[in-house]
Amino acid sequence: MEDFQVVGQVVGGKFGDIVIRQKSGTNIEIGDLMVSEENGSFLILQVFALEYGSQIQDRMQQMMSGVNMEQGIVDASFYEPEFVNYVLARIKPLARVFKERGEVKIPKSLPSFFNKLRLISQDDLKFLQKEKDSIFVGHIRSGSKVIKEAEVWLPAEDIFSHHVLIPATTGRGKSNLVKTILWHVLDTNKVGALVLDAHDEYFGRVGIGLKDHLRSRENLVYYTPANPPVGANRLTINLQSVRPEHFEGIVDFSDAQFQAIRMAYRQHRKNWIRELMLTDAVQAGMESSSPSKSDFTAATMMVVQRKLRLLLSLEKDEEGVVYSRHEVFDSTTKGLTTVEDIVRDIESGKVVVLDTSRLGDEAELIVGNIIASKLLQKYKDAKASGEIDRKPVATIVIEEAPRVIGEDVLTSKNDNIYATIAKEGRKFKVGLTAITQLSSVIPRTILANMNTKIILGNEMKQEREAIIASASQDLSEDDKNIASLDKGEAIITSIFVPFAMPIKVPLFEDIVREKTKTESAQKTKVF
Amino acid sequence: MKFAHLSDIHLGFQKNEPLQKIEQQVFENAMEKCISLNVDFILIPGDMFHVNIPEMRVQKYAFAMFRKIHDAGIPVYVVYGSHDFSPVSNSVIDLLVETGYLTKVTRATSKEDGSISLEFIVDKNTGAKITGLSGLKVGKDVEWYEKLERTSLEDESGFKIFLFHGGIADMKTDSGMDGDQMPLSLLPKNFEYYAGGHMHKFNHQKFTDYEHVVYPGTPFAGYHQDLEENAKGQKRGLVLVEFEDKVKSVEFIELENTQYEIIEVDANNRRAESINSELVEKTKEIDAANKVVIIKVAGEMISGKTADVDISLIRDKLNDSGSLVVNIAKNQLKSKEYSITEAKGSNKEEVETNVIAENIGQLRFEQSILNGESGIKLAKRILEELSQGQLANEKKNDYIPRVRDSVLAILGVNKDDS
Repeated sequence: MEDFQVVGQVVGGKFGDIVIRQKSGTNIEIGDLMVSEENGSFLILQVFALEYGSQIQDRMQQMMSGVNMEQGIVDASFYEPEFVNYVLARIKPLARVFKERGEVKIPKSLPSFFNKLRLISQDDLKFLQKEKDSIFVGHIRSGSKVIKEAEVWLPAEDIFSHHVLIPATTGRGKSNLVKTILWHVLDTNKVGALVLDAHDEYFGRVGIGLKDHLRSRENLVYYTPANPPVGANRLTINLQSVRPEHFEGIVDFSDAQFQAIRMAYRQHRKNWIRELMLTDAVQAGMESSSPSKSDFTAATMMVVQRKLRLLLSLEKDEEGVVYSRHEVFDSTTKGLTTVEDIVRDIESGKVVVLDTSRLGDEAELIVGNIIASKLLQKYKDAKASGEIDRKPVATIVIEEAPRVIGEDVLTSKNDNIYATIAKEGRKFKVGLTAITQLSSVIPRTILANMNTKIILGNEMKQEREAIIASASQDLSEDDKNIASLDKGEAIITSIFVPFAMPIKVPLFEDIVREKTKTESAQKTKVF
Repeated sequence: MKFAHLSDIHLGFQKNEPLQKIEQQVFENAMEKCISLNVDFILIPGDMFHVNIPEMRVQKYAFAMFRKIHDAGIPVYVVYGSHDFSPVSNSVIDLLVETGYLTKVTRATSKEDGSISLEFIVDKNTGAKITGLSGLKVGKDVEWYEKLERTSLEDESGFKIFLFHGGIADMKTDSGMDGDQMPLSLLPKNFEYYAGGHMHKFNHQKFTDYEHVVYPGTPFAGYHQDLEENAKGQKRGLVLVEFEDKVKSVEFIELENTQYEIIEVDANNRRAESINSELVEKTKEIDAANKVVIIKVAGEMISGKTADVDISLIRDKLNDSGSLVVNIAKNQLKSKEYSITEAKGSNKEEVETNVIAENIGQLRFEQSILNGESGIKLAKRILEELSQGQLANEKKNDYIPRVRDSVLAILGVNKDDS
């Protein structure tokens, strides 16, 4: 008698595709984690396929079924059915754990033939101990069973500087995951984050959100364009902070249009947008004798004005003051220091959430671009002066990432700041946390640089293939597995985890309820 | 109807006698101006005094002036600022409140659930409803504002004024200001006028739900930086507001303080000798008589120590030519060869050791005791000695030589060697 619950036994196969016979009465699921004990170490294996096995030939069985259904012989049954018919599971080794040292290695050998396997238990996962300054993402999941005691924590500094990709289709628990991650980022000041929140869903303006974190007052900064809730900041960026290069790789300007923009910038420096919007296009184009204005035509000028007007929602009031309809951009004296303030907050390890829900797509990216450029520059300077070690790692959370790092954007236009960060940000401790439904349109060079992928469910084969092809662990057998991931279930593949970890992300609401014990209300002393 | 709004007077800040006189003069002028403008009341949202209990000289003229205002029948409404604040009502403000010269407008009650409710004070002559909160260190401020019962404040009818003391992030115009800022959204909405203190430059802005948010700025100077700004032409004064049931006008009224000269030298990529000679040249060009002279050297020198930039010579010259005071700003002067870098540590001790250890490598001395490990130890011992405070009952004349002699002893230097 074994002292553990056997679920199967190794009966054949090859490395990476081992066949086990399921013990009758047990229930093996796709994705289940099993353990094969050996001397001094054990293998963790995962089920990736299930099929029937039988001692009786196919044709025999088909005849049996005929007898059963067509001739109505009710008591026709197999002799010792659990012995004759059974389930075969195909499993692959994930990791070899050396018990004494607690070391986890990539397995290079098969489990002993005929070895009996059991399902994984919390004791097997002791090596997943929480290290300092790490980020909680969820619990280990074996099939659909969640092992609550086995929490998965990722080393914050490593994973964020090496970029995180979250591929998922709608409704698979993407924003729940992002909220869970950011919640734990709020615990310490070791990670600074810029979150471009296109749906205004993270802060928790209505309902539960990051604002409910006990340290939100110190570590969370929320910017929203209009009518900010009590304590929140107004997202106003002065047009003086915008420079021509911020449009590169985001907005489609022709060469002539860019030239007009650069000319305006050379002439008016900080006030270039205001001046450009107030310029009479026809007159500017007509005065072709004047050397400074001769480079572009009235038509170009008008297109540039129209594009800027649409992009930034600019309007002109009767006194000739340029303003933006959604109040995010200002041409007067408001928002002069917003960009610097945000960068400073990120540098001190805070999470800065920008509610960009009122902005158009491109305007959102430009806002992000302005801040990200400044942030990267600061970190580059810190690197140059040898102070980078003192800075927290910074990450930029961006949704629908292909908008900025998609193949079509990057080949047809200049690189934008997001692509630059994806390629070289790691050296400067600045990374991307990119969320996408379409991984396949992100160039392989960038995908390969995203060294942590938290894969949520995805029905699209093409997308799964792109993810699998660029994963840090071999997921070639996991196509079905990814397709069948339920809401909140995920697979982490990363250079910072020993094997591709199946996890279940807890409900954000549960985390909040658990962690925010209601502060006992106390009388406030007022002077 | 009209009222005057002043803030950040920082009485008692100045240490030099000539500047103290200007400080007093400006304050008295401002109050006289209020009387001559025939205002209905005066608002001073904080930092009227530089410390909660200023020296007697300051208290004397402040009391005299407020008595005059009181006799003229002008109420003065105040909140504490971050400088004159006292958690136990132990501020000269409270003394002035007791005598009836000032009215503190923070009528707050804190409730069982932790929330804070504020009551209005109604100005008898005008019917204006006034309330407000004092300034603290900002972290604490935020907590108060978050707990404020807003609805009753926002729904109250009439001409409402809110006094507050603290920086508003939405109104910042330059990034050089301290990081202690709070978002405007913390203030209750729908007041006709928000009378601010803490920011030292005049600033008047309009926002949705916050019709007029105004900082008058300091009338003279409350930080060293302010004098430099004055020298560069920053206007100082008070704000005069005319109102009926709404604000009709907000006007900045300039008050003269004194005359300035500023000598600015850009030290970027230069050596001490050339900086010194430029300073001497520029000193010759100015007429310093009866003026406040600001000397500002900023930038990163290519070599040498920042101490090699010698200002003592020109200071003497300027004093000889009758300048009121010479103010030197060298804190933005750095040197490529030797620049202090920040260091980490879990306590003050550790930080000090680390700062010295990280920076000592940049120095080269012939005397080996000043370099390396022994240099660190020596520096720490000197620092320790210099941080000795003056003993109770010890006279300054005894204290200075005591500290000096023990530092010299640590250095192993004979007092007479110099």
